[in-house]
Formats: sequence, C-alpha cells, structure tokens
Amino acid sequence: MSVETAVETKTIFGSEVPQPPQHGAAGGVMRGLNFGTGLVGGIGLAAVAGWITAILTPSSASNASFAPMEPTYVYLAVLLGWVVGFMLGIGAFVGPLRWVVGRDVTHADAEYMAGKDLGRKRYWKYTTDHKVVGIQYLIVTMLLLGFAGLLAMLIRTELGMTWTSLFTPAFYNSMIGTHGIAMIIGMIVVVSGPLGNFIVPMMIGARDMAFPRLNALSLWLFVAAVPMLVSSMFMGGIQDGWSVYQPLASQAPVGMLGYQMTIIVFAISTAVASVNLMTTILTMRAKGMTWSRTPIFVYGIFAASIMGLYAFPFFQYSQILGLADRVFATSFFDPLNGGSVWLYENLFWLLGHPEVYVILIPSTAVALELMPVFLRKPLFSFNFAVAGIVGVVALSGLVWAHHMYMTGWAPAANYPFMLSTELISIPVGFLVLVAIGTFWRGTAWTRLPLMAVYAVIFNKMIGGVTGVYLSDVPADQYFHGSMFVVAHFHFMLMGAGLFGAMAGIAYFFPKMTGRFLDERTGSIGLWTAFVGFQITFISMFVAGLQGQPRRVLDFDDQFNLSNWISTIGAYVIGIGMLIFLSAIINSWRSGVIASSNPWGSKSLEWQTETPVPLENFPVLPVVTERPYNYGVPDPYEAELDSIDEDLTEKAGTK
Amino acid sequence: MSTSTFPVSPTTGEPISTIARRSRLGLWLVIVADIAGTIALVISYTYLWSLNVNGGWAPPGATLTANQTNSTLPTTPSTATFAVEWPFWGILLVLIVATALMWFGYRSARSGNHAGLIAGAGLSFLVTVAVLVFQWIQMSTFPFGAGDGAYASAVLLLCASNIFHLFLLLFIGMGIFMRARKGLIDKTNWYQAQLASYYMTWVCIAFLLGAILTTFLVESPNTDPAIFGTFKQQ
Repeated sequence: MSVETAVETKTIFGSEVPQPPQHGAAGGVMRGLNFGTGLVGGIGLAAVAGWITAILTPSSASNASFAPMEPTYVYLAVLLGWVVGFMLGIGAFVGPLRWVVGRDVTHADAEYMAGKDLGRKRYWKYTTDHKVVGIQYLIVTMLLLGFAGLLAMLIRTELGMTWTSLFTPAFYNSMIGTHGIAMIIGMIVVVSGPLGNFIVPMMIGARDMAFPRLNALSLWLFVAAVPMLVSSMFMGGIQDGWSVYQPLASQAPVGMLGYQMTIIVFAISTAVASVNLMTTILTMRAKGMTWSRTPIFVYGIFAASIMGLYAFPFFQYSQILGLADRVFATSFFDPLNGGSVWLYENLFWLLGHPEVYVILIPSTAVALELMPVFLRKPLFSFNFAVAGIVGVVALSGLVWAHHMYMTGWAPAANYPFMLSTELISIPVGFLVLVAIGTFWRGTAWTRLPLMAVYAVIFNKMIGGVTGVYLSDVPADQYFHGSMFVVAHFHFMLMGAGLFGAMAGIAYFFPKMTGRFLDERTGSIGLWTAFVGFQITFISMFVAGLQGQPRRVLDFDDQFNLSNWISTIGAYVIGIGMLIFLSAIINSWRSGVIASSNPWGSKSLEWQTETPVPLENFPVLPVVTERPYNYGVPDPYEAELDSIDEDLTEKAGTK
Repeated sequence: MSTSTFPVSPTTGEPISTIARRSRLGLWLVIVADIAGTIALVISYTYLWSLNVNGGWAPPGATLTANQTNSTLPTTPSTATFAVEWPFWGILLVLIVATALMWFGYRSARSGNHAGLIAGAGLSFLVTVAVLVFQWIQMSTFPFGAGDGAYASAVLLLCASNIFHLFLLLFIGMGIFMRARKGLIDKTNWYQAQLASYYMTWVCIAFLLGAILTTFLVESPNTDPAIFGTFKQQ
C-alpha cells in the first residue's frame, strides 16, 4: 500500500512550484524496473504468446501455396510478445498510464526518472535525461554496428576464398541481407542518436529535450527492435538483400517476419525521436540564438529529423503490407490477385533514398561543426552550408525512382528522375565546397577529429562522383546490380557516414565522458581503417567495372584477384575499427582527464562544466554572436576600444 | 525566491503556456508522420485500383460493367463483391459527432464551464467506443475476405488503420475524461483537451479519405490490364 504524502511546493530554479500529491517514494513503480525486468517481461511474454498461439493454431493450417502457417503465426506472436513484454518490463507504459489516471509526475519523480543520484544504474533504466539516453544510444549502436561488421567479415571471407565455399548459398544470402539492414539502421542512428541526444540540447542552450519520456521511448524501442533482427537469422534469415523486394519477401522463410517487425518498431522509434528533436530545436533554443546563430550541426540533425519524419512511414507501411500479405493472405504485392511488386518498390524507395541523406547529412554537419574549431576561422559561407542542407531535404523526396530504372517501372519517368538525381548533387556539392572553403588558408590544428574530417571529404568526393554515374540511365544500365554499386554506396554510407561519426565521437568524447579520446591509438585505428577502406572498395569498383554482379556467392575466375584484394582490405578495416574501439574503451576507463572546454570552442555545449550537471546550465545562457567567430575581431570589443580611445582623446584635450 | 502566480509545470517549473506551445508543435509533427502513413495507404489503394494487375482488383464475384475485367481466379464461383459504401460515411459521421463533443469539452474548459468539459469528454469517449464497435461490425461483415483480390486487401487495411486510430482516440479520450474529473484540466490548463480535439479532427480527415476512396474509386478504370506473373491461359 502506498502512503500518500502531501507535498505542497518544491523549489525549482528559484521558484516555488506547486506539486501534485507524491504517492510513495519518488519514482514510484519505476524504482523496481530496469533492463533486467524488461528482458524478463519480453522473454516471458514472448514465450507465453508463442505457446498459446501454437496451441490455438491447427497444425493443418496452410496458405494458398500449401505452406504450413503455424511457424508464421507462432513466430509473429513471439515477436509481438517480445516487444510488448520488454516495453512493459522496462516501464514504458507507466508514464502513459499515470497520465490517464491523472496521477501526475512530481518534480521528485521527474528527477528520479532522469537518473539523479542513481550512478551507473541509470544507464540500465528507462532514464529520461538526454545525456544518459545519448550514451545508451552510443553503446547500443556500437553493438549493432559490431554485429553487422562481423557479418561483413564473414561475407568477405566467403568471397575471398574463391577456391571453396564456407557457407550455403541460403546462409550467405541471409548474411548479406542482415548485414545490409543492420548497417543501415546503425548508420541512421550513429550520429543522430548519441550526438543528437547528448549534444543538441546543450548546443542550443536547453536543459533537456522537449519530451524527455519520448526520448527514453525512442531509445528502448530501438533496443527492442534489434533482437528481432538478429532472431531472423535463426528462422531462415533475410535472403533477398536489405531491400527485401517482393514477391521474394513473401516467398522467403519465416525469418522475414523478423525483418518486417524490426522495421515497423524502428520506424516508430525514429518518428518519436524526430518529433522530439525537431520540437526541441524549434522551441527551446537559448535567447538570442536566431537561425543565423544556430550551429550547423543543429541544422544537420533537424534536416535528418524532417526526412525521417516524412519518409519512414512509407518504409513502415511497405513492411506492414508485406506482413499482411504473408500472414493474412492479402494481395498488395501478389500479382496473381491484383497486387503489384512495383508498389512495394515505390513505397520502399520513398524512404530508401532519403535514408541515405538521413545518414549523410548529420555526419557531414558534424564535420562542418568541428572544422572551424580546429582551423580557428569561421565556417566558410555558413549560408551556403544551410542552403546545401535545405536543398538536399527539398530534393530528397524526388529521387527515389533512380533505384528502379532497370525494373521496367514507368520508363518515361527515368529521365525526370535522372535530372532530379543529378540536381541533388548540387546542394551536396555546396557542403563539400563549404568544407574545402573552410580549409582554405586555415591554420589546421590537426587533432584526431580533424583527421577524420580529411577522411570524410576524400571518401565523400569519390562516393559523390561515382553516384553521378549511377544516376545516369545509360550508365546505370551497365552498372546496375554490380559490385560498382556496392562500392559506391559504401563510400557514401561508410566512407562519409561512419568516418563522420568517428570525427563526431572523437570531438565530443571529452564532453561525454570527461576524458580525451587517446589520440595515438585512435589515429592509428582511424588511418588503418581508412587505408583498408580504400583497398576494399577501390578494388570493388574494379570488380564492378569488370561486370561482377552483387549478392552472388560463386563467380567467374576473372574476378578472383579483385575479390582477394577486397577481402584483405576488409580485414584491415576490421583491425582498424578494433583499434579505434579499444581507444574508446581504454580512454573511457582511464583516459587523460579533459577540461570542460578542451578545444576552445565557442558553442554552448562547451561552456558548461564537465561532467555536465543534470540541468545542463545553472542559468540559461544568452547568445550574442554567431557560433563560428574564430579569428574575427569581436565587433563589440572593437566598439568598446574605439569608445575608450574617444574618451582618452577627450580627456587629453581637457 | 518567488512563487508563480500563473500555472506552471510541476516537473520543470516552466509556465504551462510554454509546455502547451511545445506540445502543440509536437502534436503537429506527430500528425505529419501520421499523414505520411495515411498517404502510403492512399497510394497503395489508388495504385492498385488504377493498374488492376491481372484483372485482380475487383473481388472475384463482383458484377462489373461490360468493359470491365475481373480476375479469373479462383475458377470456382465466388460471392465476394465490393463493399456497400454508406457504412464508411455512417462511421465517419459518428466519429465527427465524437470529435464535435471533444471540441465542445475543450471550449467549455476554456470558458470555465467544468461540467461542460467533463460531459463533452465523457460523451466523446462513449461515442468513440460506438465508432469502434461500428467499425468492427463493418469489417467483420464485408462481402469479401482478405484473399479476394487487391480491392479487398486495400479496404481491409484502411479499416485496420481506422481501428488503430480509434484505439488511440479511446486512450486519449479516457485520459481527458479522467483528468477533467480530477480537475487537472480546467480554465487555466486546457491545452491537453485542445490537443485531443486537434488529433480527433485529423483522424476524421483520415476517415474521410478512406470513405472517398471506397465510394468513388471502386471499379478500376483500367479495362485492359497487364497480364503477367501468372500461368493462367488467355
């Protein structure tokens, strides 16, 4: 039985604030809930749901193709049970239920849920503090990328051992599909999740995100989604690539449900995160932070949120429709009964291409954010950078069909889409020019974050130029479905996206952990991965130009050499990434202590102390200048100097 | 140290008007995501309607005009046909009543009529329950099953989307009613009732789109559809 204690007021930032009744200890039922109870709830409900479904489903149940339906129903019930049980067990439903019954959260409850005085336990709970959520995102994303990277190693091992086969074709295909979607999800999150959550509120001078509980919701939905993806590998796998084209997806093993449920849940997580980030940026910027004084990284996160918000539902619905076809025998994508596989491809690529920019724009923005700090000069043409981001967002929804040139869908539309795709290279080019312009005549303070920016610019230029070839219909007729395409998108997503994330992590590491990222080990890891990356994917371009198709296990001997080189390169990348990871782990545990603003940055997140207090700023800051006024005389100080001179002259004349 | 004279958030100490502004924007963005999802459904419906792949748009037992094409599958006679249109409009009408009641409750809260707020929110909740029941009855009495062609699939998914929205509305409506009864929504703090009204209005628009599709885009205009992907004899 809870004891109701009447708390009349609480002092919050100097004001006496009336409080609703406090029922029991602060935090209430959330005190007993954590990741462990989430696991128990998820596994427990999954087991119960699967068991009941197995009992209720007649073993003779089959679909129109006489395939047994029992595994489908049971696996779907297990997945649904897992998500609901996990979210129940971690406490995601406590807030909404309290809202319905009118038991409002008190300040003490909110502080408990933000992890105050909970120490390391707060990282295992449904914590609302944006800094904790940022760290949680970082850990989960690194685990996901590690899993996807391991699959990449296995894929390259298979392709490099041209004299034998390690895996069955089905398992090889499954690894390809799982690697692809796991990497895509990981890359979507890798900047926006950790840095968007940890840094953006501080960067705009806010005390937290607009909706702290939604922040925790987006993180834990993401956590709930990942095991479903992994589980699909044990249920027959995702055998038709990360795009799971129809009708192959409907004919695939039951593991496809794992993919579909992952995307459905991840899309909710993305929508929630996008709403939260956009609302925070639009309504909680510090006084004086006009749009021209808002850091470019904030623009990048805002742009990614816009694209995630409008585009992800299309991807989500493509999977809901696919799931309905499989489970309820509808015919959205089954031509036999009036469905269309082109409908799937359109819905899929309506997100599939904007998603490239959801990955690229934040990683580019983080590179642009840190460049002025290490070059001690303003960002070259801030307005061009903003125009580039706006242009990409505006055009991102108009280019999806360039993935479908060769499918036979609307050939007359190929040329407009070719034009729009080539057009989007212009705003992307703006961003590269801004980076180069910022380097121009700058005095580079070459630390680890700036080294990663060099890598980003190099990779992005190669990825961008090869992308222009692929956007051309005649060239795409040759390149489509070849290793050339694989090399191109790895240059964009990994070469620019992941190296950009490495730059961001190295730059913000002192603020996030209070310690420097070990420069020596980190640099060795970075450059090893960079060299390995060039070996792997330049060689893959060659294989593609020679005509090697993608997603093929056994290939002609003429492609052997380029595949051997690619595999050696992949191992070098793996070694580099492990070295970089060891730098992160060791530095986090025992790195050199950093001051609160070790880079001498002018933006707000560095102006508060480290470790960052729960409320970020004791007093909310006021912004009086642009964020990148490095090396430019402060006009206000110049004005004061001239006043001083005037006064001195007047005193002299008297 | 000062004591606020205007309503403030008990968790952050910010004025309720600030929280309301933030929440309003958040809701608009949620609606944007919801609109994108609804557009995906509308695209699916209109795309399949316009293509009529393999003549498989119409349910196999539908009576079509002379120049229309029907699927030849299944080969056995079927009674599956198009749904009656008026229930879509009837359900929309009842939902509009529920929405109007929520708006009444919200307006009452703003004008200090607390009894009006409780009555509006409570009745809105009850009418939403009725909408859910009607929607369920309609879905379970359609003259077709999920496997009866693309039209059947598209209509069933529109209805499933409606049911999902209705469950959300029930949750929100119950919350507004309970909170109104507890005095947590009143003349000085009414923004949650306002947000509920906004969201219900959007859901009405989503239902309206569904009703328009299922009334005016029934028989496919494509009388010469592509035949592929099957082994049926021509």
